[in-house]
Amino acid sequence: MAKVIVDGIEVEIANGSSVLQACEAAGKEIPRFCYHERLSVAGNCRMCLVEVEKMPKPVASCGQPVADGMVVFTDTENVRRARRGVMEFLLINHPLDCPICDQGGECDLQDEAVSYGRDTSRYDEAKRAVSQPDWGPLVKTTMTRCIHCTRCIRFSTEIAGVPELGATARGESMQVGTYVEKALSSELSGNLIDLCPVGALTAKPYAFTARPWELRKTDSVDVLDAGGANIRIDARGAEVLRILPRMNDAVNEEWLGDKSRFSVDGLKRRRLDQPWLRDGARLRPATWDECFAAIAARIKAVAPSRIGAIAGDLMDVESMFALRDLFTSLGSGNLDCRADGARFDASQRQFYVFNTSIAGIEDADAILIIGSNPRHEAPVLNARIRKRYLASPTFIGHIGLPHDLTYPAMHLGTDPSVLAALTDGSHPFAATLRAAKTPMLILGAGALARPDGAALHAAAWALAAQFNMLRADWHGFNILHHAAARVGGLDLGFLPAAGGQDTRAMLDGGVDVLWLLGADNADIAAIPPETFVIYQGHHGDAGAARADVILPGAAYTEKDGIYVNTEGRVQQGFIAVKPPGSAREDWRIIRAASASLGQPLVYDTLAALRTRLAAAHPHFAAPAAFRRLAATDLQGPAPGQVALSNAPFTAVAANYYQTDPISRASPTMAACVAAHSPADNTNFGLAAE
Amino acid sequence: MRRLGRMAWALVLAEILGGLWLTLRYFFRPKATLNYPYEKNPISPRFKGEHALRRYPNGEERCIACKLCEAVCPAQAITIEAEPRDDGSRRTTRYDIDMTKCIYCGLCEEACPVDAIVEGPNFEFATETREELLYDKAKLLDNGDRWEPELAKRLELDAPYR
Amino acid sequence: MSAFLATNTGFVLLTLAQSLALIVPLLIGVAYLTFFERKVMGAIQLRKGPNVVGPFGLGQPFADAIKMLFKETIIPTGADRVLFTIAPMLTFGLAIIAWAVIPVNNHWAIANINVGVLYLFAISSLGVYGIIIAGWASNSKYAFLGALRSAAQMVSYEVSMGFVIVTVLVCVGSLNLNDIVLAQRKIWFAIPLLPLFVIFFISGLAETNRAPFDLAEGDTEIVAGFFVEYSAMSFALFFLGEYANMILISAMTTTLFLGGWLSPIGIAPFTLIPGVVWFLLKIILCLFVFIWVRATLPRIRYDQLMSLGWKVFLPISMGYLVLVAGVLEIFGWLPNA
Repeated sequence: MAKVIVDGIEVEIANGSSVLQACEAAGKEIPRFCYHERLSVAGNCRMCLVEVEKMPKPVASCGQPVADGMVVFTDTENVRRARRGVMEFLLINHPLDCPICDQGGECDLQDEAVSYGRDTSRYDEAKRAVSQPDWGPLVKTTMTRCIHCTRCIRFSTEIAGVPELGATARGESMQVGTYVEKALSSELSGNLIDLCPVGALTAKPYAFTARPWELRKTDSVDVLDAGGANIRIDARGAEVLRILPRMNDAVNEEWLGDKSRFSVDGLKRRRLDQPWLRDGARLRPATWDECFAAIAARIKAVAPSRIGAIAGDLMDVESMFALRDLFTSLGSGNLDCRADGARFDASQRQFYVFNTSIAGIEDADAILIIGSNPRHEAPVLNARIRKRYLASPTFIGHIGLPHDLTYPAMHLGTDPSVLAALTDGSHPFAATLRAAKTPMLILGAGALARPDGAALHAAAWALAAQFNMLRADWHGFNILHHAAARVGGLDLGFLPAAGGQDTRAMLDGGVDVLWLLGADNADIAAIPPETFVIYQGHHGDAGAARADVILPGAAYTEKDGIYVNTEGRVQQGFIAVKPPGSAREDWRIIRAASASLGQPLVYDTLAALRTRLAAAHPHFAAPAAFRRLAATDLQGPAPGQVALSNAPFTAVAANYYQTDPISRASPTMAACVAAHSPADNTNFGLAAE
Repeated sequence: MRRLGRMAWALVLAEILGGLWLTLRYFFRPKATLNYPYEKNPISPRFKGEHALRRYPNGEERCIACKLCEAVCPAQAITIEAEPRDDGSRRTTRYDIDMTKCIYCGLCEEACPVDAIVEGPNFEFATETREELLYDKAKLLDNGDRWEPELAKRLELDAPYR
Repeated sequence: MSAFLATNTGFVLLTLAQSLALIVPLLIGVAYLTFFERKVMGAIQLRKGPNVVGPFGLGQPFADAIKMLFKETIIPTGADRVLFTIAPMLTFGLAIIAWAVIPVNNHWAIANINVGVLYLFAISSLGVYGIIIAGWASNSKYAFLGALRSAAQMVSYEVSMGFVIVTVLVCVGSLNLNDIVLAQRKIWFAIPLLPLFVIFFISGLAETNRAPFDLAEGDTEIVAGFFVEYSAMSFALFFLGEYANMILISAMTTTLFLGGWLSPIGIAPFTLIPGVVWFLLKIILCLFVFIWVRATLPRIRYDQLMSLGWKVFLPISMGYLVLVAGVLEIFGWLPNA
């Protein structure tokens, strides 16, 4: 520890910290452009100059390590003059186009020019102007505004692991770019927009639509992957305009995947805004009462064992809980939240969550990824693995389709046979795992959806047990889900009761009335034509197309909801805008349906529902509390009836950008697909329509 | 004694008569009334009348949808929606001023970085229906085209003081 | 009744004709009094006043009347509909019927009764009812407040007004208004009774709720006082009633103090001019002073209003009554003695 005196305030800070960190510890604000907590230090903007006793010149505090007994001044006349000078130089080539710049109002340069700059400009020579390269459908560039802080270069190189940005030329001719003009290929490219301290990189879909002061900000949780990234929904009027990440070091740090960030325009398109009822071959607009009457007539006409429900990927815990209560009261045990048709043993929580936790990845020293592509299934989590890889030597093995995971991973094979080779030690990676102190294993939820998923589940658990991953102080067995609703549903027990049918059985004609709760990613095509399908959801996607009754629900931005991410963290999202038209929050729809079915649920308010939910499942009572599970019970999951096959692993989705009804409805995501796989853009992924 | 004097003074209503005398003199003074609408006062270049959206001499609209006027408007009378135009420039798709909300403070004019929204010299824009006072972008641009010579002159006259 | 009509057809028709001959000019006079007021106030405030409708704006009163007639009469929720409707009629009616006893020339009165002054005094006291009923029936706190103020104010000033009139009666020895005027042939009462004349005029201002005693209306504090809820024709009736009252008080002032229809100087060229003209000129002079005072003085505080009425006017008028009676007794000038 080093003792540093900042403006007369004595702080103690770890050796190796920078002077800037010491100043922050003392509560002093240091202006900066290039310095960022999560990026390497570049020291090229010179805005963070401070005076240090016995140093002849002002020093850049971001790059200067502290020394014991250092005396720092952050607010002397010298420092102020130095900052004014630096700001004046920065503004020489920065255009005065704040009125047409989307960063206006939330711009670091604006704020710091006001706080630390001169009041007027002395510069009346020509300014530099450069061309605007096209960086793809997400990031809009206005490189004339660039102040060369290189945050974007460092982010893409270090965090995203896709080193496609760099600076060319020097001095005034310096330009940040992709060398050859191309679309950014990172799934985290949207974070460049947040990082850019000026308006050089802005969001293309959001261009010119709003000003930050017009927006209503609502905290929420992302549901487009299972990472449960914390987000802030910015809305104006009845329209969600953009989604930004919210800082949460335990989950997403301050990053957000492009799909989660840019799918917002999908929330306005192909929405179900009124109930529909099948009338012969066609659906016709109907009233809620008509729809509930039709549902009640069908459900009362069949035996309870012939009705079933499947919960989809984007559902909040409350609506699944309400539907489960409804079906239980109707006497049906045909429930499944695993819309992908996976069959595995979910009898214990440690069998289906990411036990190591996302932050825990940073403690692992060997990682085995089985049947998953985390870069596409959870890009923010993938960035955490890369962070771990960069921090210290980590051995990463990957079983599945070969991918560029943004960090070097030893490709061990493409099918489950490798597991056997690892178990008997014949594979060289077995030695690596055995030598590791904190090894972890990530099993993709896509692999569990294979017919032999249960066997794979058991085999992976056995592997974890064998390589010392299951300890009281370290739980290295992880399932990486790709659906935000999955862990919540499994926690609730939205699963076949004793004698109940699972997703596969229900889809294959096991029931006469099938309630699809936003289950668009289930195998809808397999449902026999005579099955009466009730679809409750927010987008006209696969489920709505097959439905006999459509109950319009709310998307995640339009309801208060609890979600459980892949590590089992319970998080709450808040309503940002109202659902469109006559659409309603999903739990309300189920509550109303229960009344018309003659089995009214006992709660009338969301608060009452949550009270009951917390009573039934205590871990929902305190969303903030999260504890890593310790592996105490080594008894693994049941292996199921299907033996482990050697079929190669497949990808969960055809591409990263379109995996769910919201992103499938988003023109921006379609443009991303077109930009990144030109061969596959004939239908923009809208084949389901 | 003073008290008695004051009472006597009051008793003969001297103050009141003095006041009456004053108003009587004013009764015969020349009148200040202007015979509007046949006579009108000169108007200052800073007069804040009806709004107009100006154009550049080449016909391009000045407004760049920065929304500063919308933000500064204390009556929240301005509503702006914007999106990129086909040529990529930042333009409004909607620029509405609710003239019934407007308090004619002129802050929009002051906030505008490109002198696009201005308050012109026209104050005779009464309408027969309320709806006609909900100005849209077309109406404001039309005002700008109609009053441009005056608007330009006014800005020029006021320029040394801005 | 029919028998009365049959036997007295001529008398009834004559009375009706007389009434019409009085009321029509009176109403026109009221209309032009509003115009006169706006013009005079305008002139004092360096404005021109209404000058658009007709030559010199002379059509303005009729334009206003037409506007009033065609506006919607609004009866507020919770108002007492009957009283609310009656109140303006009462005010207006009382302002008109008082004119029955005013002599516009020698023996030119519709009813030249012997208790003319009492009648006048009674009718003008009734005026407060219109205001109180309006304030009560409106079911509005401003109206109610205005009505209460008005009631207290009118009652207070009627006391000293009464003493002033009694003083005049002592000097005349008759309640007949014609006699009162004729008694002023030598000298107008305004001169020997000057303090009482001033008190009477000021009390008249208070009695008609005119500035500076317009606390019942008090536009700036209780928005319009007792008639805040009135609109259109009912509002117009209040308005007409108020102005008719102004003319009535002016006529009373003229009759009691300014020698009625008598010419100011009792010699040839002046006496040839008909008495009606003198009477009208004197009324117009009074009205001008009414308006002049309004344009000059601000509204006084309510406590000042009350203290003026009770602590200044009442002692002075009482004392002066005793003084006048004493002087008349001592010098043996008492009439009818």
